[in-house]
Amino acid sequence: MTCIKIDKQQWAAGLAAAEKAYRLLGPVRQGAIHNFAPLAPGQTPDLDCLNTRVSARGVVYPQSEVLFEYTLDERQPDAHILKETPPPDARAAIAVRPCDAYSFVLVRRNFEAPDVQDTYWLRNYAATTFVGLACDRPCATCFCTSTGCGPYHEEGLDVLLVDEEDHYLAKVITDKGAALLAAAGWQETADDDAEARIAGRRSTAEARITSRVNTDGLADASQLDLYEADFWEDVAFACINCGTCTYLCPTCWCFDIQDETRGRQGIRVRNWDSCMFPLFTLHGSGHNPRGQKVQRVRQRFMHKLKYYVDKYGDGIQCVGCGRCVQYCPVNIDIRKVCERMNSFGQDAACKVA
Amino acid sequence: MLAYTEKIRDIAGRLLKDCRVDLVVGFRRGSMPMMNEPCFVTRADEVDQLVWDGNCGINLANYLTKRTEKIAVVAKGCDSRNIVTHIIENQIKREQLVIIGVPCTGMLDKRRIKQTAPGEVTAVVEEGDQVTVSGEGFSETHARADLLQANCAVCRHRNPVVYDELVGEAVPEQTGVDRYADVRAIEEMALEERWQHFEELLAPCLRCYACRNACPLCYCPTCFVDESMPQWVGKSQNPVDVRTFHFLRAYHCAGRCTDCGACERACPVGINMRVFTKKLERDAYEQWGWEAGLSPDQRPPLDTYRPDDPEGFIK
Amino acid sequence: MGVEPGRVHFSWVSSAESTKFVDVVKQVTEAVRAQGPNQNFVKKELKVA
Repeated sequence: MTCIKIDKQQWAAGLAAAEKAYRLLGPVRQGAIHNFAPLAPGQTPDLDCLNTRVSARGVVYPQSEVLFEYTLDERQPDAHILKETPPPDARAAIAVRPCDAYSFVLVRRNFEAPDVQDTYWLRNYAATTFVGLACDRPCATCFCTSTGCGPYHEEGLDVLLVDEEDHYLAKVITDKGAALLAAAGWQETADDDAEARIAGRRSTAEARITSRVNTDGLADASQLDLYEADFWEDVAFACINCGTCTYLCPTCWCFDIQDETRGRQGIRVRNWDSCMFPLFTLHGSGHNPRGQKVQRVRQRFMHKLKYYVDKYGDGIQCVGCGRCVQYCPVNIDIRKVCERMNSFGQDAACKVA
Repeated sequence: MLAYTEKIRDIAGRLLKDCRVDLVVGFRRGSMPMMNEPCFVTRADEVDQLVWDGNCGINLANYLTKRTEKIAVVAKGCDSRNIVTHIIENQIKREQLVIIGVPCTGMLDKRRIKQTAPGEVTAVVEEGDQVTVSGEGFSETHARADLLQANCAVCRHRNPVVYDELVGEAVPEQTGVDRYADVRAIEEMALEERWQHFEELLAPCLRCYACRNACPLCYCPTCFVDESMPQWVGKSQNPVDVRTFHFLRAYHCAGRCTDCGACERACPVGINMRVFTKKLERDAYEQWGWEAGLSPDQRPPLDTYRPDDPEGFIK
Repeated sequence: MGVEPGRVHFSWVSSAESTKFVDVVKQVTEAVRAQGPNQNFVKKELKVA
């Protein structure tokens, strides 16, 4: 696997060159926080950012996305014709953390099901080249190594950047990544032991992760028994049913579609939605199967830590980025809930055996 | 304030053992620095999980509305005023409650502490009126008064206004605080500047509704932003809709807000939206001499008519 | 909040005060028109990209 060396002096110029072929997005400062946003011409992403407040999922799946527009005004030549959003142009997300990058792999399973595909998500994803930034300073709340990824994880990335003070090492992971590096003019091959150094840094970074969560008992636990477990009331009490966990989460994917009209014109727009909101499951009939808070909270954790595990057999629907842990207003901690669910399964297994 | 923990546990244990309440609502230790988790305790042998410190900024009155049990709730000054408002608004009956009153010396501003620390904060220790913030390679001690949440710094009602038990001696109320400096600063701006100020303030808003949901006053079964027939406010990330949500919610809290700060504390992107409610609070104070929730026997100004109500703005 | 004061008016009018109602409507309409088109609180539609 090729490793390119990018002198930091060449960083801005390279991005400017890449901008000719790609729309660039990266972490930018917004007041006291960072978020992924399109970069203005000449703007470089803020690489001091430990992680963006909202995950990178907006790069592929914006919070509000117009699906089509229409006019019913018959004086217009295009009356009654759906005007769909044009396909996305090529874009590159710069400095995505490996946890966020891995989340796209997990979410893709939902949007690329055998019988139904989400055109919007998939074409946005295909149009995006992901340039990751390896994580050397994980936070106390990061638990990526427990979820199947890690601070130097490569799944979901096309290039992995590793910071070596006056230069970056750019590990080329896919052809898309190689194409971006070529467009930026970053072609200097790194020296032979670059890969070994990256491996060393990877071990150091992984060792700095202090938060570990056990997930080995989840697959074998009985779905029904977990659902009926007696700890959900205790877990759910503090919850205030806001959308913080959902909207900051890289692996959440639920949405709401509606039309907004003005006179005879309208657009159909898809917006992020949250299963924590009381009206999320409100039926047209007026019935609401998850009208109680405890049902919604249970649903969230069962979905992330059990249903996804059972459906795809590849671990939990969580990348351990720690955003929900840090920003839940009432400190409901998915790590604690996961341990409770995990040991519940194992206790039950012990009882049976 | 740390001695309150023992007292809260004693009182809670006694209330549960004597079956005076079905549950006690309080806080338990959080999983991170500067966070505690609201919890409920139903058995006397579980009260040792209850704690109290400067990280109890979430308003527990939020968990009382429409409940039918007998509940003991730990309440600081602002929380107790929200309980009074709940009683006035028929959200809970006084007889259902045993209020464990906490004379409060202010909550720590976790956002400010995290932002000003030189690295990741791994421990925050309170000792009297000093707070030590530490992490890898640093440890700084500050005066507690310098680290308080913005609302606590200007608080005039630190002692509970209604209670059944008190966990400590009443604390002296702050005097000479200027509650409305932030409101005046905006009023002094020119019109266009003001519009821009609010555009920037609300730009990071995600419509997660953490502010609304942390607020004890926001208990409508269907909030105006969730109505769809008719739809009053759009659900997309349109700046006009975002602004409408915030200022209209503030109007719904006019004359009711106690400035407990739970909204700002809950916000995941750090928006200081209290400026909306502060403006209306000041208007209520100056127009009607009104402060929310001081007594269950007073009807709020938007509920009452007096012939001498100021109406200079009406033609 | 940055909305021009001339756009918002308050008045007490009873349904029996028809003359006053007409006057108030005329006055408010003229006052608001004099402000020019409203630039704030105008939703710019999300457009297809």
